[in-house]
Amino acid sequence: MKAWFSRHRRGAAGVVFLALLLSAAYYFGGGAPGLRGWSASAPQAASSVQSETGDSSAQAASSSAASSSAASSSAVPAASSSASSQPAEKADESGPAASAKKTAAARPGGTRGGMTASEKTAAAKEIAGGNGSSAGVEQGDAAYSEKQGMKLDASTGKDQYQTAPVPEGKPVPVEPQDAVITDRECTCTFSISCAAINDNLSWLDPDKKELVPADGWLLKPTQVTFYEGESVFNVLLRTCKQQGIHMEYKNTPIYNSAYIEGIGNLYEFDCGELSGWMYEVNDWFPNYGCSRYQLQDGDSVSFVYTCDLGVDVGGYSAAAGG
Amino acid sequence: MRNRDAFSGCHPAVSFLYFGLVLIFSMIFMHPVCLAISLLSAFAYSILLNGARAVRFNFLGLLPMMLLAAFINPAFSHEGETILTYLPSGNPLTLESIVYGFAAAAMLAGVICWFSCYNAVMTSDKFVYLFGRVIPALSLVLSMTLRFVPKFKAQIRTVSGAQRCVGRDVSDGGILQRARHGMTILSILVTWSMENAIETADSMRSRGYGLPGRTAFSIYRFERRDRRMLLALLACGGYLAAGAAMGGLRWRYYPTIRGAGANGFSVSLYAAYLALCLLPVFLDLREARQWRLAQNAEGGSHA
Repeated sequence: MKAWFSRHRRGAAGVVFLALLLSAAYYFGGGAPGLRGWSASAPQAASSVQSETGDSSAQAASSSAASSSAASSSAVPAASSSASSQPAEKADESGPAASAKKTAAARPGGTRGGMTASEKTAAAKEIAGGNGSSAGVEQGDAAYSEKQGMKLDASTGKDQYQTAPVPEGKPVPVEPQDAVITDRECTCTFSISCAAINDNLSWLDPDKKELVPADGWLLKPTQVTFYEGESVFNVLLRTCKQQGIHMEYKNTPIYNSAYIEGIGNLYEFDCGELSGWMYEVNDWFPNYGCSRYQLQDGDSVSFVYTCDLGVDVGGYSAAAGG
Repeated sequence: MRNRDAFSGCHPAVSFLYFGLVLIFSMIFMHPVCLAISLLSAFAYSILLNGARAVRFNFLGLLPMMLLAAFINPAFSHEGETILTYLPSGNPLTLESIVYGFAAAAMLAGVICWFSCYNAVMTSDKFVYLFGRVIPALSLVLSMTLRFVPKFKAQIRTVSGAQRCVGRDVSDGGILQRARHGMTILSILVTWSMENAIETADSMRSRGYGLPGRTAFSIYRFERRDRRMLLALLACGGYLAAGAAMGGLRWRYYPTIRGAGANGFSVSLYAAYLALCLLPVFLDLREARQWRLAQNAEGGSHA
């Protein structure tokens, strides 16, 4: 043994060094299960009582709650894999047996950057129960969209900024560079809510817990003045400045729109891999960016934080596909 | 070669452990007090080691780089509770992102400064002494790589001097000719460095480097001073690692600046970190004083 070791010392040292290096890379690189480390560090399991109260407060608070509860009740309970996390589904399997491990595993993608885009859409599909979009999310109508002036590419069925046709009766995107802003003052109702986080508090980045209000409102529905021709993004930017609410965005040229990364220091991916901000106008989640949505007088705009790619707020679209 | 300071005379294992601990802690601890301790100690030790050259490098090289790094962060990161003003793009400029920019810059400058100390203390013979037996090929390659830049610079001077004698230096002729001369010098240097690497490798092989059973001459002895230093390093390092694991040095910059402050446990950790970082400086001052005392005693006996 000793002779063997002295003969192969170099090789053995190399193997040990390599193993240490790889395990360190694995440990710190986030490939390990759980947030970081060998075992999933289980956040406190949200008890069923907690999630029910969270759900009811969300119903009271969010204007989209009706469609949200419809979505979760229509979800097929058979989606019992690790990705199931809807309050409604949790209720029928959240005995003590559905242990903390389940909740930890249910946080979609343990760490930042842990999932690819296709994995995310697959996970959202599973959470939604596999039967397509949220209630209220309609199919796009190509004929209607083209009549409204949308130029669709025949081969992909989308316009030049990757946008699929809009449903009948909904406004088509207006490019911000073409928008004509007049002096006419209009008003709309504007609100920002992160109520969905309260249902999944155990997923949230612990440093950010203090940022989430108990009722979820970052900005309660408020009458906001804007000028005719302005987009949802213009109004968001101005309102956040006026109200002193933090907001960060990034321009995404391929979608010709601003992408809202975070509002009130709550950023995308802060509450699981499928989390981020969505916007809703008159109870419809547009399938294009907020810089391209031209507001009309009397519209009702709300920005909502989702933890499940839109399933929990009723804006999940099976067709979107990232 | 004469030692630059007392710590350079310690056993290579002690020096290596010291730099390992200090570099790892400098990179991990983002607590502002720790960053300040690390940066100031690194400045102090580099000045002790390299004198005026280090002063020039630290203040003309590192400080501007720090400022640049500190101002780049708020241009890209807009997170934070305290909104100071708005950038032209419409994104907020936050206090937290500025503070984090300074912290990251201090970390960067501290680590670079520690590496300049490392290069002065851990000469390549020490490195090869430590790792030549365990990983011979890698340690030879590493020491050759680390030697490469200073050697290349010295060779540039030689070649350029020789070329100047025949009127073909980069300082001779019009702009086009200068460029051509520069290319010639560069080509000479690349050829030389490749040949030199092969020669070094051949010469090490012909000496039997890396063969089993080969012994190596070294003049490093593990003395009582080294044992004391090792114990001090292990005690400080262990206490700091345990304290950091228990959250005594916790600090966060986003979304609000918050962290362990001035409670007794944290202050003891700062003290341990300061002691660890300044260990070589203490050793040097202590030995200088002993030397002075010894000389005085000698002088006194003569009088």
